[in-house]
Amino acid sequence: MSQQQTTALDIHSELKELTVSIQEMVKSFRHLQSPIEESRMRVPEATSQLEKITKQTEEATHRVLDMVEEITNDAADMVQDLKVLRKALPATYFKNRSKVRDTFERIQLKAERGQDRAFAIMDALQFQDITSQQMDHAAHLLDEVETKLHSVMGLFTPGEGEKSDYVLVHKKRVYDPNASFNVSPEAQSDVDSLVSSLKNGDDEDD
Amino acid sequence: MRRIIINTLKRAGYADVTEASDGKDALAKLKVDKFNFVITDWNMPEMDGLTFVTNIRKTPEYKDLPILMVTTRSVKDDIIEAMKAGVNNYIVKPFTPETLKEKIESTLQGK
Repeated sequence: MSQQQTTALDIHSELKELTVSIQEMVKSFRHLQSPIEESRMRVPEATSQLEKITKQTEEATHRVLDMVEEITNDAADMVQDLKVLRKALPATYFKNRSKVRDTFERIQLKAERGQDRAFAIMDALQFQDITSQQMDHAAHLLDEVETKLHSVMGLFTPGEGEKSDYVLVHKKRVYDPNASFNVSPEAQSDVDSLVSSLKNGDDEDD
Repeated sequence: MRRIIINTLKRAGYADVTEASDGKDALAKLKVDKFNFVITDWNMPEMDGLTFVTNIRKTPEYKDLPILMVTTRSVKDDIIEAMKAGVNNYIVKPFTPETLKEKIESTLQGK
């Protein structure tokens, strides 16, 4: 066998091996295609779940706010009614530490305390605004994952993106990616210091 | 959040309050009625707070209108950007009713 024939056989053997490897690789990629496709289909489900949580939390918050407003209005009415009643009753009822006077004061105190507590609940409901922004951030990240998976799917089957029925539709989301429920007073005082220095014309790059 | 702010304002004695769903809606309302104070969020649909404030400052009638921004954005660069756009004072959420009242008063006094 000539040198040329030996070389040709070697090349043939190498090419055969290479072909087998490529076929194996294609097979492996085909195996990957299915789970990636499945993941891509499931991402919108996860996004939809997050949106559902946000919507339901918002609805629940509004229901709580409805009730809190009713409580505060009732408490304010009670305080007002007590004042009217006090005026209508003879002044002797309220002299010194009479039982009537003590009862009036106790009811008024409880009504005011109830109102303050209801307002405190209202203030705490600010959490919903913040968690909804956090959810929107998570949903946005899922939108990005879905877009990337869609691109990967396009590599397996070129032109698939244009031909398939799968259309990427993502909502416009308005959120602060750093939103957090930070109740520490330092959070506001840090902002105040910065605002104050900016108003005084201090260098903003400091 | 708007509902909480409105309730807090009423509690603080500010009963005459007009609400808007976003910057675009608020600008339309500013054209129709006269206002002496604006509280705005940053993150809003249609038109965000920063664009809204920039638009207010372009209106000669409202160039000195006190504006308070109430937002979750507490990053330094965001605060600088808001102040440059024309915001007079800045509150980070969650806020206390006392903070809101104090900032309204100090903003009205030009502090």
